[in-house]
Amino acid sequence: MRFRVAARNTAPMHILLAEDDAETAALVERGLADAGHKVTHVADGDAAHRAGDAADFDLAVVDRMLPGVDGLEVVRRWRAAGIRVPVIMLTALGSIGDRVAGLEAGADDYLVKPFAFAELSARVGALLRRPPLAEAPTRFHVGDVTLDLLRREVRRGAREIRLQPREFGILEQLMRNAGRIVTRAMLLEEVWGFHFDPQTNIVESHLSRMRGKLNEGFDSDPIETLRGVGYRMRGGD
Amino acid sequence: MTEKRRSAVYRIAFIYSGAFALAVALLGVLVYVAAERALRGEQDLALGEATAALERSYRTEGYAGLIDAIGARGSTNGVVTFGYALFDASGRKVAGSFDLDLPPPGYSNVAFRDPIEGLDHARALTTRLDRNLSLVVGIDSQVLERLDRLILSLFAGVLVLILAIGAGGALVLGSYLRRRLDRISGTAQAIIAGDMRRRVPVSPRGDEFDQLGIALNLMLERIARLLDNLRQVSADVAHDLRTPLARLRAGLEAALSVDAPAAQRAAIAKAVEQADATLALFGGILRIVEVDAGDVRQGFVTVDLTALAEDLVDSYAPAVADKGRTLACDIAPGIAVPGDRELIAQAVINLLDNAQAHTPPGTAIRLTLRAEPGIARLEVADDGPGVAAADRARIVERFVRLDRSRAAHGHGLGLNLVDAIARAHGGTLAIEDAAPGLSAVLRLPRI
Repeated sequence: MRFRVAARNTAPMHILLAEDDAETAALVERGLADAGHKVTHVADGDAAHRAGDAADFDLAVVDRMLPGVDGLEVVRRWRAAGIRVPVIMLTALGSIGDRVAGLEAGADDYLVKPFAFAELSARVGALLRRPPLAEAPTRFHVGDVTLDLLRREVRRGAREIRLQPREFGILEQLMRNAGRIVTRAMLLEEVWGFHFDPQTNIVESHLSRMRGKLNEGFDSDPIETLRGVGYRMRGGD
Repeated sequence: MTEKRRSAVYRIAFIYSGAFALAVALLGVLVYVAAERALRGEQDLALGEATAALERSYRTEGYAGLIDAIGARGSTNGVVTFGYALFDASGRKVAGSFDLDLPPPGYSNVAFRDPIEGLDHARALTTRLDRNLSLVVGIDSQVLERLDRLILSLFAGVLVLILAIGAGGALVLGSYLRRRLDRISGTAQAIIAGDMRRRVPVSPRGDEFDQLGIALNLMLERIARLLDNLRQVSADVAHDLRTPLARLRAGLEAALSVDAPAAQRAAIAKAVEQADATLALFGGILRIVEVDAGDVRQGFVTVDLTALAEDLVDSYAPAVADKGRTLACDIAPGIAVPGDRELIAQAVINLLDNAQAHTPPGTAIRLTLRAEPGIARLEVADDGPGVAAADRARIVERFVRLDRSRAAHGHGLGLNLVDAIARAHGGTLAIEDAAPGLSAVLRLPRI
């Protein structure tokens, strides 16, 4: 199961779902299938380990507390065997130490139950399209917006737009995931490094300021707000 | 008795008195051996002197002189009984009252026939005066034997006495310790049986048992307080969960009774929102429990508090401005604390959230970071309506919301989490009067 670099645009993606709770598994499976993915479901750690060894998956969603070999160990063994499939770990354990343990085992993302399916879907989308580190681009173009990571520069059309560091960070995340939803929690994690949700909606304030600067003098807004879910940059691949 | 055999107290007391008796017995043996050796030395010395004197008589006055000298010395010298005998070359006794066969030359232990007591033991020195004559001088060992017996019986008596006193002492000590320990285990049994108010009785003497009792009682007080707290929190959680769950249920019930799909959608969306609020409450409780448990300390690193505070003000200022308030700051440079960056950020964010949630628009909020000796002092103050002095300490407690009518705002855990985070970092949270307004002061040990 090597990471498929080619698997960038056209679906369907093949996703391994390792989850022992039948109801959660059914919901996730249906949701991912609706999004056009092919899902293989296993219900315990040994089966997950074997499946990961045997087949070529684009992404794995692994519950942390699987019967038999637990989710942490499954991911650890995959990594030890050189299997680099992107992994989202699902867990009922939300403490700081648990999250650190999950990421140290080799998971790429960590989602605490219960979660909104939209949140999982957005994270699956982000991980599926994430290019390998070696190919990480430093410039993004979406529509008429250009963002240069090295020069910390944003342009819309020919005009340069000056953004605050946080505003720049938000736009960067949206452009990396152009065409896909980026949730508020993802922005808090990526831009601020917070794994909790402050009562005050700091994401919205920064985003609306950034949006204002980006749209000044233009009629169209490249950023779409999906109420209660997140934001999406129109266009992209 | 089997109970006594199992009892550590009795075992220790008996072993102790047994060891003591053994030491006394050992001392007895040593005294016996040393006394015997000294007395034998004395005996041999006396034999040597008597032999030398008689030999001198023989050399100067001849055989007749020797016989005279023996006669003159007599058979007794104080308490010690001497015996004398002369033997010819063939080993036949030729003179003297000492009735024995010729022993080999030098010192030896011999048996002789006592005219009254029969066969008896003596210490003898045999000397060859010349080719035809051997002199034997003996001392009856009776005195020595009597002395030995006296020493032995003395020590035997003392040993028996010590064993008796030891056993008696062990029984008394054992039952005393037993009684003291029974009081403690009795209290423990009562608490196991459910009587949480029982305490270990403590005497005014203040001995080790009383100190143990006092320590146990303090521990019981702490446990009782924790249990009370737990009971309180459980009751609060149950109460605070009932409200959103009741609303959730009512909303879903209402959705069931209407036919319009649009209305149903709205009701379901609202239900999801309420479920999220309930889950957030759980998340808040779990976070506080996690921070309180202290495991977070393992992840502590050096946190640049100056940078973090500036960052948080930058992040918050737009949102605060959107809500019609202002956020100003006065941040001292170069302040760092050991801690968890995200937890400290959450604490400051909760203070900023709080300052906004409970003040009217137009309020000025100010974040100040100062270095005090050994302490980083971070203050979030507002010039809003403030909180009555009586309520200031209370708002840090779990689930305390002064304004119950604004139920939508928060779950009453914010300041409690800040307090838990401060304590996990070895610091404090103080709620003070900003006159006007409220000030929350976070003090954290500085690097």
